[in-house]
Amino acid sequence: MKYLTLLLIGITLSACTSTAQLPANNNLYEEIGGQQTLSKVFGLALTRIYNDPIIGHHFTGVPKSHLRKHLTEQTCELIGGPCVYQGKDMVEVHTDHNITDKEFFILVEYVQGAMRDIGLTVEQENQILQKLAPLKDQIVYR
Amino acid sequence: MNKQAVFALSVLLLSPTLWADTGSKLLATGGITSFEGSAGGGITPWALIAGYASQEEVNATANVQRLDVGEYQLSTYGAAVGAYDRFEFSLQKQSLDVSSGVVTNVFNAVTGGPTPALIAPSTKIEQTIIGAKYKLFGDAIYDANPFLPQVSVGIQYKTNNSFDNSLALYNGAIPAPNTGVPMLLGAKEGSGTDVYVSATKVWLGLANGKNVLLNATARYSKANTFGLLGFGSAADDSYELEWAASLAMFTGTNTIVGMEVRQQADRLGGLASTDTVTDFFITYLPSKEWSITAAYVDLGNLPFQPDTSGLYLSITANL
Repeated sequence: MKYLTLLLIGITLSACTSTAQLPANNNLYEEIGGQQTLSKVFGLALTRIYNDPIIGHHFTGVPKSHLRKHLTEQTCELIGGPCVYQGKDMVEVHTDHNITDKEFFILVEYVQGAMRDIGLTVEQENQILQKLAPLKDQIVYR
Repeated sequence: MNKQAVFALSVLLLSPTLWADTGSKLLATGGITSFEGSAGGGITPWALIAGYASQEEVNATANVQRLDVGEYQLSTYGAAVGAYDRFEFSLQKQSLDVSSGVVTNVFNAVTGGPTPALIAPSTKIEQTIIGAKYKLFGDAIYDANPFLPQVSVGIQYKTNNSFDNSLALYNGAIPAPNTGVPMLLGAKEGSGTDVYVSATKVWLGLANGKNVLLNATARYSKANTFGLLGFGSAADDSYELEWAASLAMFTGTNTIVGMEVRQQADRLGGLASTDTVTDFFITYLPSKEWSITAAYVDLGNLPFQPDTSGLYLSITANL
């Protein structure tokens, strides 16, 4: 029982920390090297995504440079950088593409892999994914 | 290790080469396998569904586990199927080796210490657990609401195969026919059903950029020491609520460290009193194919076992 009480205190504390942490971390954007780094990450990820046999077809007819710019902008904004996402509404662009859960995970793995290859730390990667993960609902099965 | 366990282990080690596709979900998001077969931490289920199956896939896991606590060794192995990131079915076999010293002590204690004392050989307590889990709502990782956990309900149907197995002494005598260790210690039933609700939440990049997982599980159970010592007792045959919680943190890309606690209701009292179980674990996931977990576990109380802590090792393979 003693342990349980301790753990419950831990639960409450961590819930509080999460509230405190939720606003975008302004340092993260600068820490990773700003838009330039994000653009490199998405450039690399998209090259792999466009060539993927399972998810590549979703991007037929979408200019890579265009998507790269939007993803960079969007992520920049989400992690507290000085950008405003100029692209279309997330739900709107994904509607009727019937993107599956599996396809979403494949894409996330490419983005994750690109962040590692570009040289972001695991902690930076996690903080960026924290902002991107909630978008899943606007992407899958729309 | 018995033949079945060796077989299970071989299947497990061969499996990554036999099954190339583990399912699409991201590394570690299927948790590991608890000692009762449900996906979770080590000593309690989590709301996560076993394996890496996405909403379109069906995948499986297989596991072997071992816990050494002084006079007791628990070997367990089993398999689980995770379907559509919604359902989980599991089958787990447990075998608890109880030393000759403990069986002898239990015999003499419950028969009032006859002279000359009865001397009994070691015994095995075997249990089979059939589990099912259903994800009710939420997504531990991707939900847009940072406070909404993934919530699953589950059931574990446990059959203690040694409940009423006669224990023979060295001389072949059977002082208490059709009475296994669980019955000797006062358990009323040889099988029972646990029902639980688990809530699991993962916060990405929470503490200094680390991913943190929190799980709480509420279980209704009649089990004595997880069912290994049977179910219910003459004095107390009602379901009771038992809580469990886990706190885990990712370090690096493929290592998780954490701690867990699990309450146990005490029905048998005396020798077989139960106490809170705790563990500290470290899991290494070299790939999506498999993971290995080592833990320091304290089972709280076991008959005639002064120090109830020991080392736990567990391997889960993803098929």
